[in-house]
Amino acid sequence: MLAASATTLPLFAALTACAGPDPLSGPPPLSAGVRELLDAVTAEQNLIWIYNRTMASYSALAPTLTALLAEHQAHLAQLRAMIVEPPGRSVPRTVTSKPAVPGTQSAALAQLRATEQAASTAQLRRLSGASPALAQLYASIAASEATHAAVLATARTSGSAH
Amino acid sequence: MTGRQVTTAAAPTAVQALQTALAAEHAAVYGYGVAGALLTGADQTAALADWRAHQEARDTLEAMIVKLGATPVAASAAYALPFAVQDARSARRLAATLEDGVTQAYLGVVAVTDETLRTFGALAMLPPANRAVAWRGSTIAFPGMGDSPPPI
Repeated sequence: MLAASATTLPLFAALTACAGPDPLSGPPPLSAGVRELLDAVTAEQNLIWIYNRTMASYSALAPTLTALLAEHQAHLAQLRAMIVEPPGRSVPRTVTSKPAVPGTQSAALAQLRATEQAASTAQLRRLSGASPALAQLYASIAASEATHAAVLATARTSGSAH
Repeated sequence: MTGRQVTTAAAPTAVQALQTALAAEHAAVYGYGVAGALLTGADQTAALADWRAHQEARDTLEAMIVKLGATPVAASAAYALPFAVQDARSARRLAATLEDGVTQAYLGVVAVTDETLRTFGALAMLPPANRAVAWRGSTIAFPGMGDSPPPI
């Protein structure tokens, strides 16, 4: 049984500050903080999908992308761990953005770089109103994604990241 | 100067968090003086640029702390290095360690409740996180939190 700590957010219970929700009216609406967390989870799933598709199209990029992909998987695990999933309900695992992989390696790298930069910026927008621990997780992931964008900017299409 | 696990049961005050960041910047300014002396060529040029960046960040933090009515923490006369630094390789490692320490200190600023400072801390993490990658030659999953995932 999952136990909520000070740094986890219940997904479907105690999500709003309203008093005495009607138990027959279905689950209460998600709070803004939980929606942001779920958005962050979805964004990581989207990034992982793009990395996997890019590596499937350009195996020569694997030496560069494998380590970055592993870090996104670590991000996703940590974000998901911040959510308490009640029995019978789970965090969505749907990928919501599936862009086509560009026709050249350099264009594929550019797409990944732009996606990483956008993801980093989005993490920073989630800071407002988040708990201190969750804000730190968003900020750390934002910094990680910014470093990914920098690595991808200098990566050679031969596959070397540095 | 090494990356320690960041735990924040309660939000620190703004001044506390900024003073910690300032102390890290002081340490970085000192440390780059050590590292830069052992580097040559492009590495030394990069170390000089990074040293100047930390001086600017230090000045920014001092001004912010004064504006909050506190006295900025002073630099120490000398710092104990986290390991022996005696050649270019260990100098590059020191530079990466310094940047990790500064990144971690700014992550502490992110824990404050003031939204403006929180954003400042998050943005301030980005340059040292990138510099750490440049010196180390590899990325890490959770900058500011060390190599291990943050505690849940």
